[in-house]
Amino acid sequence: MATESVTAPAVDPGWEALAKVAAGDVDAFASLVESHQERLLRLCERLLGDTEEARDAAQDVFLKAYRKAADVRPQGQVYTWLYRIAVNHCLNKLRRRKLVRFLRLDAPADEDSPTFDPLDRAADPASSLEARRRWQATRKAIAKLPENQRSVLVLVRFEGLSYKQVAEVLGITEGAVESRLVRAMRRLEAAQEAESSRVSSAEGAR
Amino acid sequence: MTSGTEHELMSLLRGELAAEEARELRARMRREPELAADYRRLEQTWNRLELPPPSPVPPGFTGRIMARVRSEKANGSLSWSSAPNWVRATAAASLLAGALLGIGVGRSWPTADASPSSEGAIAGLKVSSGEELSLAAGYWNLIVDSTTGGEPEGRP
Repeated sequence: MATESVTAPAVDPGWEALAKVAAGDVDAFASLVESHQERLLRLCERLLGDTEEARDAAQDVFLKAYRKAADVRPQGQVYTWLYRIAVNHCLNKLRRRKLVRFLRLDAPADEDSPTFDPLDRAADPASSLEARRRWQATRKAIAKLPENQRSVLVLVRFEGLSYKQVAEVLGITEGAVESRLVRAMRRLEAAQEAESSRVSSAEGAR
Repeated sequence: MTSGTEHELMSLLRGELAAEEARELRARMRREPELAADYRRLEQTWNRLELPPPSPVPPGFTGRIMARVRSEKANGSLSWSSAPNWVRATAAASLLAGALLGIGVGRSWPTADASPSSEGAIAGLKVSSGEELSLAAGYWNLIVDSTTGGEPEGRP
């Protein structure tokens, strides 16, 4: 009988750690946290636009992952699974934030998320100011996107995930990822054009 | 522009288009200036999207998470959030069944505006003058009826 050479997909060692956690070895979870905390924190920060809130959210995400360790079926990469928990968690937080503002009736019309005060890493004050202006504009534009477009944009543009990976994280088809991304880009294009004309008319008025 | 072309432009920008398709699309852009301009706009929008570098992982972050995990383990699996999915599903189904049962019983329960010819509890909901009573008052009358032989002596 001829033997077929089949390349088995590499098994993510994170699944082994999760299996140990499910068996009661809590310390095995620490290695998983250390391997993924940086990218999860970054994702939460990108989605929520707030560093402190992102830190709390990332902690909650890891805790949820710990609780689900016994139920999860190893499939693909662990980070895809963690990303899925993180995206759902952050979108829920954003929905709650909107609801709270709606109930308090004090929602600023154009500020969907709290102040994003990034660390200043620019070399000189002028370029620092310019970078802040660009970051602010991007943050505002992203905050105005519908949730399903926002998550696709963040995962593709800022996390560098492929359509296939995003489809896995969000549990949608690659076609849906493409469509949402195109729609998000068209909205951002319009927002950037509006911002440009606003700036030029303001400069013209001076 | 068709949505198919928009998707192709986006895929080209993302480097997700197959080599042959990318060549064809580039050739098409050379022939169609509007398509090329649209691609440039998308590219410009994409490149303008900038966010600050992510904040570093705060010191002791792993320790804080592990402390929460250990505390959760020490508390056992009694909390709702740590309950297995089947426990939550069973509890939710029981609640729903209870609510449906309650609604069913409530709908079949005699109401205060039932016809005067109804018997039993319904009869107790109206007094001889035609005045409608509350459900509690109806119950009271029924109790009084059963103890006094039919003559209401008062209401709660």
